[in-house]
Amino acid sequence: MSDFSLSVREEGNTVIIETTGYLNNVGGEKVSEACYEKMDDGKKHFLLDLENSKVVNSIGVSILIEIIEKLQDVDGKLGYYNLAPIVEKTFNIMGLTKYSTVYYSEAEGLEGMA
Amino acid sequence: MVEVNALDQLEYYLTSLDELGEILIDADQSASVSKGVLRLTLGTVMASKGAIFLYHHEGDQLSILAAQGLKKEAPLSSPRNLSGQCLKHRYSHIELDENQSWITGELKKCILELGAKILVPLFHKDRLLGLLCVGKKFMGESYTSAEIKILKIIANHLTKALYNYELIQNVDEKGKQLNLKLLELETLFDISVAISSVLDVDELGEEILWRSVGILNASKGMMLMPKENSPILEPNSSFNWEDTDVLISKKLTIFKKIDDIKSGIILTPEDKNSLQKKLGEHHIIIAPIRAKDNILGYMVLCNKETRHGVEAFTQTDLDLLSALCNQGAVALDNARLFKDITEAKQFNESILGSIATGVITLDPLGEIDSINQAGMNILKMNSDETIGNHYMYLFEKDMEIIGLIQMTEMENKIHSEINMSFLTVSKEAVVNVSVAPRIDPGGSVRGLVIAIEDITDVSKVKNTFKRYVSKQVVDELLNDDAKLNLGGEEREVTILFSDIRGFTSMSENMSPENVVSTLNEYFSDMIDIVFKYNGTLDKIIGDELMIVYGAPISAKDDTQRAVTTAVEMQKQITRLNKKRIKRKDIPISAGIGINRGIVVSGNIGSRDMMDYTVIGDTVNLGARLCSAAGPGEILVSSAVWKETQKHCSYKELEPIKVKGKKNKVGVYRIEHDG
Repeated sequence: MSDFSLSVREEGNTVIIETTGYLNNVGGEKVSEACYEKMDDGKKHFLLDLENSKVVNSIGVSILIEIIEKLQDVDGKLGYYNLAPIVEKTFNIMGLTKYSTVYYSEAEGLEGMA
Repeated sequence: MVEVNALDQLEYYLTSLDELGEILIDADQSASVSKGVLRLTLGTVMASKGAIFLYHHEGDQLSILAAQGLKKEAPLSSPRNLSGQCLKHRYSHIELDENQSWITGELKKCILELGAKILVPLFHKDRLLGLLCVGKKFMGESYTSAEIKILKIIANHLTKALYNYELIQNVDEKGKQLNLKLLELETLFDISVAISSVLDVDELGEEILWRSVGILNASKGMMLMPKENSPILEPNSSFNWEDTDVLISKKLTIFKKIDDIKSGIILTPEDKNSLQKKLGEHHIIIAPIRAKDNILGYMVLCNKETRHGVEAFTQTDLDLLSALCNQGAVALDNARLFKDITEAKQFNESILGSIATGVITLDPLGEIDSINQAGMNILKMNSDETIGNHYMYLFEKDMEIIGLIQMTEMENKIHSEINMSFLTVSKEAVVNVSVAPRIDPGGSVRGLVIAIEDITDVSKVKNTFKRYVSKQVVDELLNDDAKLNLGGEEREVTILFSDIRGFTSMSENMSPENVVSTLNEYFSDMIDIVFKYNGTLDKIIGDELMIVYGAPISAKDDTQRAVTTAVEMQKQITRLNKKRIKRKDIPISAGIGINRGIVVSGNIGSRDMMDYTVIGDTVNLGARLCSAAGPGEILVSSAVWKETQKHCSYKELEPIKVKGKKNKVGVYRIEHDG
């Protein structure tokens, strides 16, 4: 596994970002860039599909926290789905799940964002 | 008027303090508190400029928490011994004048820019938290003692608030650190769980690598394993690493050093190690994956990430990575052992599955814990009917086998028995059984192994054939199936017929018992001779014997052996008659005919009654020659004569007419002295 990539699409008012690769400093920055770009367009609801990002480090987590903080300023939401157990555990331990939500499918995520 | 003004002043101050309380309660961050407090302070003392500085002991720096009338925003270096200088004014304030020469550098510039008059050090106990700096009052008035007092009250509240925020920040920081520690512990725990659940070496290696990269905030990593019989280290798994085709030798000094010190190593850009050059990375951390004293491989991680770039790995990182690798080593060692054991088991099972001997293993309780395919075939049972059952139940009809097992259990040594009837399967079943103790590497008995060889068919063949052919022929047939062709085929054989002359009329004057005993004695002697020369007893019809040489096994001397058999038979009859005469029994005599030629051989008969025999004209002519032979005579055909004339003395007789043949056939009589 190498090179981080992502794809962005929209479902209604929700922006879905599918990531592939290590969610670290590089990956996290790319996610935040994509989020902020969409936030500039007025989007407030974001879902991350992390199926192909099996490893996340604490730098990646801190970038996600920054995204959450910015979203809170505009009453936005961040959610995730397709999390590997190790990633979900990391999110729980780092306290990320207090301020954002883990969903178990895209459909559930879209319902939660509505 | 003065009193009224003082009252107004007091009320104003009280209002300010009340407002201060609200600011401290409502604000949730030190920056917003400071902003509010500064605004309130300046309003209270009627000054237009001022600032609140936060002092950072680490780095000896000041940062601007809030400022009014100050362009600078970035942190500034503090004057030398700021804390020590301020401590002198811990319970008071500093009036800024030319006497404060210790205020230098960037702080001095800020103070000049603010036109500051009063500096209140913010101390919590002996610890300097920051500075409250207030500029000159409107209209250049001097600060009154009341204003100084109110400034100190505000400063005290601000100090408490800053201290609380620092505490909260510390708690947050500690919480974050605790979370990271928890994550480390969880990772170690997860790997220990993986030890007992993941037994695939590659999968396990990948799992440990991923966890290590994530927990150490590394940008990439790989697990290097030694290639068998080679000094090359190969990446067993890699993460976020584009080019893993780098040739890395175990002979690199860094790996030798790791092997020597039995510990990992941190490489920084200053090291300039050849591994850094090979990998094209400067920040590297390497830990050995060691199981006991054996190094299974190396974990190599690169670039510790921070939000501001890459930094060097620390000893704490190395300790953590070493702990992960130690856990991983146990797991990998277990996985390897499991792989070896599985392969050995599969190998053993394939051997057991391919052999014809049934192998049944019993646990220490006597219950069957494994049985190979041959065992199931012999027992005519499947694994469900055998596994888990006690041997007493399985072999309940075979007390001999149970006895054999029990002897082995008691004496802990191998016991074998051959040709045992095997009633578990059928009355006809015959087996060879061997029972041996199962001994573990520690020398303890862990049950028994029973080897069962099904010899029912062999026994049947022996029992069947031994009545017709010699033991030697039976053994030869059983040793080489290719020689046994019981299907119909044309083959050249030599046929010998013998017949007791005048036995029918002779037996009319004998008791039935005497007839039977006479025939039994005669046949017993004759058949011994037949078997001596490896003849096949084809039939006994009344007092007639039909012997075949060359079926089912042919040999070059088939005809010579037939002739020798015939001569010896006549000699034995002479000897037998001497005994009979002594017993006052009537002497007997036999005529013998021998022919050689093509016959059809095979199992001939109906489904219920089938015999291996030969048929054809050759057989018929043999029988005719026997009929034509007088008492004590051996008549042979031309074919037999041609093959044996060099070894036997013959007299050519008149050709005889044979039923089914147009021409008379040549007949020769063996001149023997029997």
